[in-house]
Amino acid sequence: MAEAASPQNSAPQSPAFESPVVRSYPAMRAGDLTLSDESAVTKWLVRAGADGPAADLLGAPFGTSRAVAGGALVLGSRPGEWIVLGTAGEVAATVADLAGCEEQEFCSALDWTHGRAMFRVTGTSAARMLEKVCGLDWSDHMTPEGAVVSASVALVTCDIARNDRDGVRSYLIFCDRSFGQYLFDALIDAGNEFGLSVAAASHSHSAD
Amino acid sequence: MLLVPCPNCGPRNSTDLRYGGESHARPDPNTASPAEWRAYLYLRDNPAGWLRENWYCASGCRRWFSIERNTATNEFRDPPLPGDKRGGAA
Amino acid sequence: MTMSRQGVQPTEVIDRAAKLRFRWNGKRFSGFEGDTIASALAASGEQIFSRSMKYHRPRGILTADYWDPNLMVQVGDDPNVRAGHRLLESGMDVRSQNAWPSLNRDIKAANSLFGRFLTAGFYYKTFMRPQWLWPTYERVLATFAPGGKIDLDTPHAYHDKRYTHPDVVVAGAGPAGIEAALAASGEGASVLLVSHEHAVGGHLRYSSDAADQAALAELRAALDASDVEVLTDSTVTGRYEDNWLGIVQRNHPIAVERLIKARAKTLVAAPGLIERPYVFEGNDRPGVITSGAARRLANLWGVKPGERAVVFSANADGDAAAADLERVGTEIAAVIDGRTGGRISSTSGSSRAVDAVVADGASIDADLLVVAAGWTAPTSLLNMAGDRPVYDPAAARFFPSDPPSNVLATGGLAGDADLDGLRQHGAATGRLAAARAAAVRHRLQSRTARALPVDGDEPAWAPDERVPLGRDPHPELYRADTHGMVDMSEDISSKDLVAAAHEGYDSVELAKRYTTATMGPSQGKLETVNTVAAIAEARGETISQVGTTVWRPPYAPLTLGALAGRMFEPVRVSPIHPWHEANNVSIIQAGQWLRPDHYGDPAAEVRNVRENVGLIDVTPLGKLDLRGPDVPKLLSLLYVNKWMKLGVGRVRYGMMCAEDGVVLDDGVTGRLGEDHYMMSTTSSGAGGVWEWVENWLQTERPDWQVHVTPVTTAYASINVAGPKSRELMSRVCEGVDLDAEAFPYMTVREATVAGVAGCFMWRIGFTGELSFELHVPAGHGLHVWEALMDSGSDLGVGPFGLEAQRIMRLEKGHFIVGQDTDGLTLGPSTGLGSLIKLDKDDFAGKPELAWAADRSLPMVVAIQPDDPDVVPEEAAQIVRGDTNEILGRITSSRYSPTLNRSICLGQVEPDLAAGGTKVTVLLESGERIGATVIDHHAHFDPAGERLRG
Repeated sequence: MAEAASPQNSAPQSPAFESPVVRSYPAMRAGDLTLSDESAVTKWLVRAGADGPAADLLGAPFGTSRAVAGGALVLGSRPGEWIVLGTAGEVAATVADLAGCEEQEFCSALDWTHGRAMFRVTGTSAARMLEKVCGLDWSDHMTPEGAVVSASVALVTCDIARNDRDGVRSYLIFCDRSFGQYLFDALIDAGNEFGLSVAAASHSHSAD
Repeated sequence: MLLVPCPNCGPRNSTDLRYGGESHARPDPNTASPAEWRAYLYLRDNPAGWLRENWYCASGCRRWFSIERNTATNEFRDPPLPGDKRGGAA
Repeated sequence: MTMSRQGVQPTEVIDRAAKLRFRWNGKRFSGFEGDTIASALAASGEQIFSRSMKYHRPRGILTADYWDPNLMVQVGDDPNVRAGHRLLESGMDVRSQNAWPSLNRDIKAANSLFGRFLTAGFYYKTFMRPQWLWPTYERVLATFAPGGKIDLDTPHAYHDKRYTHPDVVVAGAGPAGIEAALAASGEGASVLLVSHEHAVGGHLRYSSDAADQAALAELRAALDASDVEVLTDSTVTGRYEDNWLGIVQRNHPIAVERLIKARAKTLVAAPGLIERPYVFEGNDRPGVITSGAARRLANLWGVKPGERAVVFSANADGDAAAADLERVGTEIAAVIDGRTGGRISSTSGSSRAVDAVVADGASIDADLLVVAAGWTAPTSLLNMAGDRPVYDPAAARFFPSDPPSNVLATGGLAGDADLDGLRQHGAATGRLAAARAAAVRHRLQSRTARALPVDGDEPAWAPDERVPLGRDPHPELYRADTHGMVDMSEDISSKDLVAAAHEGYDSVELAKRYTTATMGPSQGKLETVNTVAAIAEARGETISQVGTTVWRPPYAPLTLGALAGRMFEPVRVSPIHPWHEANNVSIIQAGQWLRPDHYGDPAAEVRNVRENVGLIDVTPLGKLDLRGPDVPKLLSLLYVNKWMKLGVGRVRYGMMCAEDGVVLDDGVTGRLGEDHYMMSTTSSGAGGVWEWVENWLQTERPDWQVHVTPVTTAYASINVAGPKSRELMSRVCEGVDLDAEAFPYMTVREATVAGVAGCFMWRIGFTGELSFELHVPAGHGLHVWEALMDSGSDLGVGPFGLEAQRIMRLEKGHFIVGQDTDGLTLGPSTGLGSLIKLDKDDFAGKPELAWAADRSLPMVVAIQPDDPDVVPEEAAQIVRGDTNEILGRITSSRYSPTLNRSICLGQVEPDLAAGGTKVTVLLESGERIGATVIDHHAHFDPAGERLRG
């Protein structure tokens, strides 16, 4: 897409990507509930009509997500908006697939890697933990595997995607980068009663 | 807390939304008289009853929408969640 | 009355093997695990627990539960603890409240001699005049106030918060409530059962009846085997719109209290009934207790409440109390049957204890009077749902009327039956609640895009086919033929209420506020109906005619800590924040942002920027990425100036006004590519402008092709300012010609900076110096900042903070929206009226600005005090001569280290706006100083030569 060649399109490269989470956390034995900082994962924001050709290609209507063939994960984050995440190559492949759409409709894509922090919470008590910081219903029938939703988490507006790992409940949480450190600590506080431990970034993003 | 039926997100807590007030058309800025323009800026009907009003789904889909609400009963013409409003059970 | 611990009771909840030691007013006491503070003290023979609020009368146990108004104590630093409810813990330091110097010798008891000053409405009658004495009155009254002591050094305790979305919440865990929970769960509903008490079971817990105990065991076993989530020692404190519930959990393992915000699909109200005290002379003497108190003391804690009792019984619970008392060794002197006309009139004895009861005209020696005079239906949750309960004189209590159909009542609140009948009604209520919850759930799920798809049509709203509970007849017993206390929390007697009614406060809502009856810690649970009855009697009307007060949240008093929950206070930081923290920064919080205010000496920072080069972290500057062919139209619509011909690589300043013509925001927008723009906003306006843009695009111009993305924190923004800034930038930039001709003022360029591709920078500056505003992908922001610092050490590069920037922008006369403008400042008042292009077809605020063009408006002007060493306070008034007529105000002021004088911006009346006008500034001290309006906004370099350099 033409707009892809914007000044913001610098995928993390040398020098090294600096995460918004700058505090160090004591090494913890990985327990049932883990939190990891995945902010370095490449994330693009795609905009197009909610039911146009790009929407058809991405195949993740608002509120849902889909792992595409190229390996990227597509989140239907808003009507007509998608977050595409994965390795730089995976994301680039998916965005390139959209190139044909711009002749048929108004669409754009920008690299949001630096704008959004991304955390992953995994564990059987992950929903109970989210209940402490977010007013949404995290039950399986309201936010099943694959669900994508935006909501206030500890008073920060976030995008949240249910993205289970090996059948274990798992959520990706995105917020404005500047809130990253605050939100990371708020999640640790919420997870304490469930034995949360901070895990190294897996940089993995998609289910299966 | 009121549940507001966002057409995109479904029913959401009212704190997830920003209240935009009564819907009102913007007069033509080139022909509006001061009285018309200031009515647009400041005057509201504020009825006790059905009112079309605007909401911004700030924490959710970030879309503005307008919907009718009965200001006396908080019933939305959506229709409401069953049973919450007095006389609204059906 | 001497209470004492008796032998093991089959129903007791204490563990006699676990002895707990504690202190009561400094003396050593002991009790058992499972005791409340009150039961442990009662078992040790204590009779007096507090002094009453106004008259400081000695008070003993009344109800022995949460609602007991006489059992408020201090535990350590925790005031107003309910000793009738709080479980005893080892090592507790328990003290009485509202007694001085001691519980047994209270000097303020002399108040009873001055009772005439403390009559109905005394708050409004005494201590009023003369007004100048009020501070003294306040101090005196404060010493009489009944609360405990607040310790300001108490550490913050961890309070918790949680949200939950159960299908059914059952408030109350008596037999009906438990059955409702079990039945709803059996229908597949998720159920939260909330028990106000420490254990489920309701009145079965303190019943010595074998069948009751068997039923309790059966219900508990069924609950254990079910999926019902049970919260004990927790209260549903409020019901709000759409069944939004506040629940306070007092026994959470990780927090002193946890506030649960529950969105229930249906609510079952099963709070049971609260036993109502009876009003007669001497009804507040220690030794007068309710039948429930007698049974709880005897059966739960094995305490004998007295040696010789008179039982006034108008119902089966009174009869059962008499039996329970006999079993623990209390002699029953008489049972006065209220159902057959038996009456009690008064107690006699010392102020400290009952020694005789006058009943049916005779005096009976006794140290205990047990009263079973009737029940109050705690309809609070129904009231909060909009119901107005109706009084039934035959049953002598209020009943639900017409609650919304997602709120269902069961148990004693709904009517009377034997245990099986109550259980059946509870179960039927649970099934109905589950069926209606299923319909709500279907609706929620089918309307929520992300939810699992639902099959079939929405279930019909289940009809209420429950067999209604009956209503047992009960005599209307509110007041005997004597007067007594109605509200023991507030020391309000029935005489006070009659007096209030005669003074004209004869509506129950007025009498309540005038006398403060029902406004104490029991919150009307014990007092409301007796208050209504007293007013009805004074008015010569029935209780139905008088009606009742409306119960509002909370159901039970709760702490401010519980309401606060875990406080979420989000803060935002830039990627460069760690560097600031490591470099002697003084942080200022601006909105949610933590920003460098200065690094020790703002004046030195200013001088360094004016002489060398400085770096400021301006990451919070709002940035909106705008893409699409219609961006110029959007900019023209939102800004007052023109945008259709901005070339690629160019940057322009713009001012936004709201539809009323008032200045909304300002900033620069640059064109990065053919259809790609970057808008900057003020730091505080970033969120608001984004919503403003979305509002216009979504509601007024939905056909325009523009995509807006907030990218404020996608970039670290660094302003490199000072005469040596170009030299510094040349050392770190690749791929861009920094020469003044190639990269002039008000243009934008892309560059690789310190190895980081994808940076862009614009040549603008708030400081008035040659400057480059650099925007770096945030994940490399710290690296670039450090590279700039390292590369420029020989140039004297140093950081500067917000304070230095504020000084420099004031030297340059740049106004700040919201500081130098306010909610009434129209666009032309900023002095930038020439920006406003009324020949544009349309833009936000155009009509108001067109009309304003013909008027004289207050103006933002630069002002210099005549004495260069005096810096007027911001918000100091500009006045006419020696008068107090206000002609304007100082909006910004600083001492300029560049000019070595004080400098200001201010807003003044139109006729004072011309350069050279002399004005008078009234300082906070009262001193008036002379000052002069200057020609330009800029105090320094008005031609802007340094900036363009």
